[in-house]
Amino acid sequence: MSMNFSEFQKLMGADPLNRDEETLRARRSSPEFEAVAVDAEAFEEKLQGSIRIQAPDDLLSRIMDISQQQVRPRRWMPLALAASLLVFAGAAGLVWKQNQQWDSVEDYVADHFSHDGTKVFAKAAERFPEQDITRILSRLNAGVDEKLATMIKFIKFCPTPDGRGAHMVVQTDQGLMTLIYMPNVQITESSEVNFDQWHASLVNLEHGSVAVIGNQAQRTDEIAVMVRGSLKTGQFDA
Amino acid sequence: MTSDTGRTNRFNELAEAYSTDLYRYAMWICGNDALAKDLVQETFLRAWRALDSLNDVAKAKSWLITILRREYARTFERKVPAFTNYEKVSIADDEDLEPDEQTERDLLRQGIFKLDSKYRDPLLLQVVFGHSCAEISAQLGITKSAVMTQLFRAREKLRAQLQKDGVTGNVHELF
Repeated sequence: MSMNFSEFQKLMGADPLNRDEETLRARRSSPEFEAVAVDAEAFEEKLQGSIRIQAPDDLLSRIMDISQQQVRPRRWMPLALAASLLVFAGAAGLVWKQNQQWDSVEDYVADHFSHDGTKVFAKAAERFPEQDITRILSRLNAGVDEKLATMIKFIKFCPTPDGRGAHMVVQTDQGLMTLIYMPNVQITESSEVNFDQWHASLVNLEHGSVAVIGNQAQRTDEIAVMVRGSLKTGQFDA
Repeated sequence: MTSDTGRTNRFNELAEAYSTDLYRYAMWICGNDALAKDLVQETFLRAWRALDSLNDVAKAKSWLITILRREYARTFERKVPAFTNYEKVSIADDEDLEPDEQTERDLLRQGIFKLDSKYRDPLLLQVVFGHSCAEISAQLGITKSAVMTQLFRAREKLRAQLQKDGVTGNVHELF
């Protein structure tokens, strides 16, 4: 049974490049059918041209690097600080600008972990006083809910770009990871950074920021989301 | 040739064949250039890790699209906000366009972004990847009849957008 005009219009609207025998036969059946097909093809050409966005020049090379390095390449999502610190109220922003030790919070995280990270990991195997969690975090005007508290295997004060913070080792379902809580560093956008064989996810909190550091196979971004909900910051009564 | 070399070659062939179209697809579904690039990168990272599970190279395109769609869904689970910056995306200018043609192209792009995902998804699978209606049906888990309807309505909406702005003079009957 041959296609009627309405059916042919619908087909050209849904699949204008259809070239099966029934479609071609309908197209050839009359000038009106042919006009619909020509119009549909013209529109399709415009649509194709609009959708044909240019891919980034380095996209392919970065993807191919995956097979060479077998690690997660650095992400494109923008780094956190820069302009945000220029509008951050208070001394912290000025202190940061004056402190030229690190160029960015990502640099700080990589540097701090490179010096300290694996040594502190070893501490997680030892027993530690659980009251240290409350003692240390309360001094930073912070606290944790029960879920995160049970995950913490070690905690200590650590230097951050703008004062003291907390360096924690947590036991997650993906293995041990490191948290670096920075009470006075307020990033505005989440970011990801690779350094050596490690990967860090940085997220902001209500007050301050936290970096979650793991190996390249670990989903630190998932843990960062969890920590954001479990690490309570700001005015906190111990 | 070692098995590692063979695996790398297989992966690189997939990257060469599909990375551009995956980026285009990701860009149109998420509307954010940086996120689109990350989605594609993450897609291929997962593909590299699971490459041994791809037994039929003919299914590679659908396999990669599925990985990307899942990764995109996970992105919203992590509450990463999406925003539109399509104005910053460069156009593959292999032709000089007249001002009217450029305007028309820009309007179409705006229209694509404005489409509801139920219209945009099948349209992108068809136009970006050249999927047949049967392949789209399998990818999205909807009937072929539904695919045809959504594709038709997607194009109708885009045509209407151009007509509303007075770009085309064609009168088109709507169903």
